[in-house]
Amino acid sequence: MREYKIVVLGSGGVGKSALTVQFVQGIFVEKYDPTIEDSYRKQVEVEGQQCMLEILDTAGTEQFTAMRDLYMKNGQGFILVYSITAQSTFNDLQDLREQILRVKDTDDVPMVLVGNKCDLEDERVVGKDLGGNLARTFNCAFMETSAKAKTNVSEIFYDLVKQINKKSPEKKVKVKKPRLCTLL
Amino acid sequence: MMLLPTATTLTFQQDFYYSVAERTKFFASKCRSLSPSLNTKDSSPKGKFRFSACTSSRRSNKKNNTKWYIKQPTWRLWGEEKADGALYTVYLKKVRYHRPTRSLSSSHSDSDDEISHLEWETVRVRFVKAGTLKRLVEALATDDGELETTYINVFLATYRSFSSPKEVLRLLLQRYEELADPPENGKPDHHEQHRKTLISALHVWLDSYPEDFKESPHHPALIQLVNFCEKYLPATELEAKVRHRLDRYSREQPPKITDTLLIPPATLALRTAVPEWKCYRLPNVPVRHFAEQLTRMDVDLFKKLVPHQCLGAVWSRRDKSRSHEAATVLATVNQFNAVSFRVISSILVEPGHKALDRAFIIICWIDIAQELRVLKNFSSLKAIISGLQSNPIYRLQKTWAVVAKEKIELFDELARIFSEDNNQWAQRELLMREGTAKFADTVGENDKQLQKIFQRQNNHSANISFGTIPYLGTFLTDLTMIDTAIPDTISDGLINFDKRRKEFEVLAQIKLLQGAANAYNLIGDIVFDRWFDSILVLDDREAYQLSCQIEPSQNNHVSKVKKKSSGHQKNDSIASNSSSNSSQFYCDIDSMPSSPHNSIERKLSPSQMSNSSSSSSLPSLDVSLNSSHSGRDNKLQVPLNSSGTLSPSHSQKSSPDFYVIKVTFETNSVETEGIVLYKSIMLSNNERTPQVIRNAMYKLGLEGNPDNYTLAQVLPDKEMILPLNANVYYAVNTAYNLNFILRQKKPEEAESNGKAAKSKIKL
Ligand SMILES: Nc1nc2c(ncn2[C@@H]2O[C@H](COP(=O)(O)OP(=O)(O)OP(=O)(O)O)[C@@H](O)[C@H]2O)c(=O)[nH]1
Ligand SMILES: [Mg+2]
Repeated sequence: MREYKIVVLGSGGVGKSALTVQFVQGIFVEKYDPTIEDSYRKQVEVEGQQCMLEILDTAGTEQFTAMRDLYMKNGQGFILVYSITAQSTFNDLQDLREQILRVKDTDDVPMVLVGNKCDLEDERVVGKDLGGNLARTFNCAFMETSAKAKTNVSEIFYDLVKQINKKSPEKKVKVKKPRLCTLL
Repeated sequence: MMLLPTATTLTFQQDFYYSVAERTKFFASKCRSLSPSLNTKDSSPKGKFRFSACTSSRRSNKKNNTKWYIKQPTWRLWGEEKADGALYTVYLKKVRYHRPTRSLSSSHSDSDDEISHLEWETVRVRFVKAGTLKRLVEALATDDGELETTYINVFLATYRSFSSPKEVLRLLLQRYEELADPPENGKPDHHEQHRKTLISALHVWLDSYPEDFKESPHHPALIQLVNFCEKYLPATELEAKVRHRLDRYSREQPPKITDTLLIPPATLALRTAVPEWKCYRLPNVPVRHFAEQLTRMDVDLFKKLVPHQCLGAVWSRRDKSRSHEAATVLATVNQFNAVSFRVISSILVEPGHKALDRAFIIICWIDIAQELRVLKNFSSLKAIISGLQSNPIYRLQKTWAVVAKEKIELFDELARIFSEDNNQWAQRELLMREGTAKFADTVGENDKQLQKIFQRQNNHSANISFGTIPYLGTFLTDLTMIDTAIPDTISDGLINFDKRRKEFEVLAQIKLLQGAANAYNLIGDIVFDRWFDSILVLDDREAYQLSCQIEPSQNNHVSKVKKKSSGHQKNDSIASNSSSNSSQFYCDIDSMPSSPHNSIERKLSPSQMSNSSSSSSLPSLDVSLNSSHSGRDNKLQVPLNSSGTLSPSHSQKSSPDFYVIKVTFETNSVETEGIVLYKSIMLSNNERTPQVIRNAMYKLGLEGNPDNYTLAQVLPDKEMILPLNANVYYAVNTAYNLNFILRQKKPEEAESNGKAAKSKIKL
């Protein structure tokens, strides 16, 4: 079975963990507990193929961002998350993308831009068109999601898997499992 | 948990204040609904969104006419404002107006409104943060002269800690008289409105705290009010109310010298009428009936409880001469201890009993405890658990050894409710969920036995509804801590009203539960009362001696336990230690030392840490991806010491203040869906095994007792299991990856541990 390494990035509190947990475990996490670095695994079927996703949920809060280079190097697909209720989280993504391209040393990196918390329409400050525009400059897919209302949650992961497939169709990606996984 | 703010953004301060205010308002509104007379002034849509003692300086009349509802105001802390004799916290509130849904307004169309309407506006809102007594009394009305319903609730519930009924009444009446004079510069209706509000305030006060006006034999406060009414408000509702009250009190008997509450209720009644043949003997008693009877006793006391007697200033600073001021609290405490002592002595007193006989009595108490859980009586439930966990009982290894395994499991599940982990999170969460619900139904995922019980209950008696009796100790601890941690006065002697708001949050919870307790409908049984009285009560020393006679202490294990518990001996009654438990409390108080689980601190720390992260070097977070990172130290070196504060001399430190470790939870269950590979947590340099396990459990969303888990570091050739009480920071092998495995102990291991873990009856 093919393995996919997916990294979820974005500022603190935008809902990276909420999206990941919603996708992996089907629950919405109400409480906010800043992430340091968590890793999940989930098996899904995309385009008739069984895939094993290994999802790295990263820290949005400033002090842990030093590790970013590492997982950017190893990640195959990236989910860039902002919250439609906080302009600054949207602005932060430009730098993040640049960092990814630098580390990967290529322009073509599977990526999805995600505007989360779209259930909070009343608090929206980042228009949907802004998200669309940014995605166009990033040349990547764009979706608005809600971890709370389960809107488009699995879609973003599936889309990313398809992108990875398209980019490297047959090549068997050999990934060495982190040692901890073998214990499970 | 109840006290932790739930706000979700990183803007800590505003959210914190906002959520405190929000919750105060919520509790206030709940309380209002308990006393119908308070409802009168709160029906305007605007009132709903007003906060305590707030005074919006900009009001739009449009607001009152519009039928749109106001939704989700957003708050911004503006700053503080000092006025003569008062200090305010000022917020800017953005209020949006939404159209009502079609269904609500379809009958009549406001076509004007549909086309153009006010989308939002910014309003300035002030809260009284502190003030002189005079100012605080004035703040009962807003600048516009309307009654502040939340504020008055907080004020009336807490003012006794900074003033007296007499003084407040004097100021209130004086204020009215001042307003009776025509204003200097026009606007007579403004004063009129203010005066009306003061009358409403008096009504509220008279209705909700009648005891404030009762002072035998002459009831001077009422007389003063009668005189006031004659002069200013003849032939009004208020006058009628006051006269009627005075009349009634004057006709009442003067109260007995001894406060009946201080005497255990059981000794009051005559019980000779009980037929001799009818009596109870443990363990052959109807457990449900026993649980109901214990609950009946608790309900009586809980309903009589005067919430403001729980205030830290009243309760914990009490001395003998003032004990009557906390009489209703003491009565509850005495009952709690009475139950605990009966558990202990009933198991120990019969010298001829075999281990199995005693085991049956223990089982009987566990069964009663289980019924108490169903009845949502957390007071007697905790009393029984405490009794069973007391040193003289839990050390009876041979006895426990013959208690059936399911019963031990049940006992552990019940005991978990009162686990002190995480600031007694489990219990707070339960109260939150079930406090005013009809019946008990909350179980942790590991609570197998309880799950079965609730299932049975739901099948049989879906329509019964119960109240809730909380374990008062939790509230008393919280209130004591608020009282010790927050100053009574700030900026040159102004009364710190923010402190009272915090206290009110706790009092409001108590009131809410008192209201819910009315749902119990239990009939007394004098045979039970007689049994209750007949149980001999042993003191700590006697109980311990008896226990040692039954099972002499032998091995090291027991003597170690004995030593450990002797330090808690005097804590064995909840009356003695409300303040000694201060360390358990770390909610909401800015200056308190906090635990890693405290959500406030969790929010605080990222920003604190980021201030200094520029100087930190690269952490060793992902070890499996390690190849690309070179040239830097591989330990996270954020200058943060274990208590979450910045350490001044971080740059000179040679070892980091914490490591980041990855924890994997190992389960037997095969997950087909998604799984968690690992979660990372911080490990700071004073954390011992139980604390680290607790942190890992919290992160991984596991419930239960940390004693039931082990933690091991994964090394290339083996695993290193961390000793029970190691300083993990030093114990870990930093030459390798900081990967850890968390495992649940096998039931046998966990059992003996869980039982030995707690030896004291705690407040
Ligand atoms: N209403 C709403 N709230 C959400 C949504 N997604 C996340 N949240 C809430 O936003 C808060 C932060 O979510 P997290 O998922 O913990 O944020 P994060 O991006 O992982 O933050 P860091 O771990 O610090 O990087 C939590 O309280 C969530 O409940 C959403 O789609 N809608
Ligand atoms: Mg997160």
